[in-house]
Amino acid sequence: MTAPSSTGERTGRRRKQGRPSNDSDTRVAWAFSAPALILLGAFIVLPFLLAFYLSFTNQRLISPLPTRFVGLDNYADTLSSTAFWKGFFNNVWFVAVVVPVQTAFALWLAILVNRKIPGRVFFRTVFFMPVVTVMAAAAVIWTLLFNANGLVNAVMETVTFGAFSPDWLNSTLWALPAMMIVGIWQGVGFQMVILLAALQDVPDVLYEAASIDGASRWEQFMNVTLPGIRNGLIFVITVTTILAFRLFDQVWIMPRVPGGPLDSTRTMMLELVETGFGAQAIGRGAAIAVVFFVIVLALTLIQRRFIREEGEVT
Amino acid sequence: MRNRYARNRYAIALLVVTALLAASCGGGADVAASCDGEIPDGSTVEVWMHEGSEFTALEEAMQSFNSTRGADLGLTVEITSIPEGQYTDQIKAAAAADDLPDVIEFDGPTMANFAWAGSILAMDDCISDDVRDNLLPSLIEQGTYADQLWGIGTFDSGLGLWAWRSALEEVGARIPTGAGDAWTADEFEQVLGDLKAAGYEFPLDVKPWYGSQGEWFAYAFAPMIWSGGGSLIDRDGYDSADGALNGQETVDVLTRFQGWVSDGLIDMQAADDSNFLEKRSPISWVGHWMYSAYKDAAGDDLVLLPLPDFGEGTRTGMGSWAWAIANGATDGDAAMEVIEYMVSDDVVLSVTEANGAVPGTKSAIAKSPIHADGGELELYVSQLEGAPDIAMPRALTPAYPTLTQTFTATLDDIMQGKDVQTALDEAVATIDADIEANEGYPEP
Repeated sequence: MTAPSSTGERTGRRRKQGRPSNDSDTRVAWAFSAPALILLGAFIVLPFLLAFYLSFTNQRLISPLPTRFVGLDNYADTLSSTAFWKGFFNNVWFVAVVVPVQTAFALWLAILVNRKIPGRVFFRTVFFMPVVTVMAAAAVIWTLLFNANGLVNAVMETVTFGAFSPDWLNSTLWALPAMMIVGIWQGVGFQMVILLAALQDVPDVLYEAASIDGASRWEQFMNVTLPGIRNGLIFVITVTTILAFRLFDQVWIMPRVPGGPLDSTRTMMLELVETGFGAQAIGRGAAIAVVFFVIVLALTLIQRRFIREEGEVT
Repeated sequence: MRNRYARNRYAIALLVVTALLAASCGGGADVAASCDGEIPDGSTVEVWMHEGSEFTALEEAMQSFNSTRGADLGLTVEITSIPEGQYTDQIKAAAAADDLPDVIEFDGPTMANFAWAGSILAMDDCISDDVRDNLLPSLIEQGTYADQLWGIGTFDSGLGLWAWRSALEEVGARIPTGAGDAWTADEFEQVLGDLKAAGYEFPLDVKPWYGSQGEWFAYAFAPMIWSGGGSLIDRDGYDSADGALNGQETVDVLTRFQGWVSDGLIDMQAADDSNFLEKRSPISWVGHWMYSAYKDAAGDDLVLLPLPDFGEGTRTGMGSWAWAIANGATDGDAAMEVIEYMVSDDVVLSVTEANGAVPGTKSAIAKSPIHADGGELELYVSQLEGAPDIAMPRALTPAYPTLTQTFTATLDDIMQGKDVQTALDEAVATIDADIEANEGYPEP
């Protein structure tokens, strides 16, 4: 049940516990990982290191002026920029809502789809389809759906008898929730599939034993299912958190102007793109990228501190 | 041991790549296109175009070049089309990668930025005198930076108010006959109020849904600021936006505009043109590109009016897509031949018939019935001929991309109800910071 993790730290810990390391095994492992590691290195690590370097310069996108070092100026500008902190706040707010809601929703869908009812393969496919749509294209459609006279409000008015039909994308209060809805709509299928796999790993024997012991459905869920899918759940939460911080497509396309009514949908990624590409200030954009990385890393580490996967010794 | 080795390798790779990056970012290459009058036979001219309303006409023109003038000179044109919304971004990306073609289209006001960055080349040595003299003065104006000519357009744009004549007559509004007797801002508000009272819930259509796509906010709404005596940036040297963008005149004009939104005169929910087409919003503040659609809907009921006068006389925008020789051009003369063909009368007329724009050359205007005196679009021509007093170019500065991005976001905030002076002060801070970061954009 505890899937062997591929993190190096785990291998390292096993080594510390006195397991003899097998040299040829290690070499084979490196050989197989090499293509992926090279690609990761070239497309993620190297650009990030370059961004780190560029963040100390005043590099521009295209300019006849020579580039110079400006030390920590870009960082000072970023950390004192109200737009950036507004973006940070919006990101945190977005993550705080999306992660629990999307995970719970995905778990619910996974449980539904896990039952042996006819049509479950069809529904599994339907729930997964938003994941494979291009967010940019979907966002264009959602913009029309969220129009004050659009489909979402038509449904809302019917369901709430006319009490609730806000002007989503023009409202400082409801623009970000609109982005959340679109984000959840797209992400839930992916998490559902992962949780489905985790659910199917829970042995039926445990459920039978629990029902024999007289446990209700809810008690079975809390005491058999949740602990059983613990690792999958932790993975889903961590990945959703990280991906949710990268909110960009919706805030670029859906509001009338990116960043939405009065900066209510401004995010750190949007700040990065508008600074680096729009204003052509690559140095400042790189500084934003580095700060963004540090923030997400810190939050993820804090999360790891509180939620540990099973199998970790320390 | 292994870790240290890897770290060293990383460091070296990093240094190499950075060195290459730094080298490629060094100084500008030749600023002016070299035109020796000779064209190597059998060359291909690569052209990038945006997919606008005139795309089909432009494509046909390029193909006719291949079979006529191109065949004579042994040149072939190869077109790459890019969607309009990302066009400028794609050019920037290609410029950064040093991967520009021979000829590019560019949206008028981005010219100074491209010229400053060295992405396009000056065409003074390449353009023939009679072509230059035949062009509308507004096109020359919009294409000039640092005393050199960088781009010329097949057409120029027109901006004004389209209206349903019958709706105006219904409320007894005076109908202006030309740029000289435009409505004053007060008169305009009166007309809108009367229309609203007559049952048109949102009498004015300003296409807010064009939003950040392209240039709309800056193009459409800077003229009313100019008309009120303000401007987006200090036009004497383009050093700072302080005093201009946040000056009292600009604040007054934008506060009045904010009032139109909060009074419910504009349908901020509109997502398409149906409001005007179906006569729900009988006045539409938009440019020449809506001419065909509006004409089909309103027929003889359609009338073109100048923008309201906010104090200093009506002002309007100008400048549109133009052609330039990009820094990837293999031969300046070949590129110029294609560009000059694109401003020849037949091409100009076929394109402007498709998009309703103003023909870019005086000879073509004379041949176009709707643009000649008495024609429906005569107002556009008279406004452009009055450049730079009636039609004014958008700021001719490399700071323009930042200026327009900031102005668009600021105007959106103002439409959402933000305090005008605060919003403009913040915009000025952003723009001035950009100008300073680029050391004042020194001329090449």
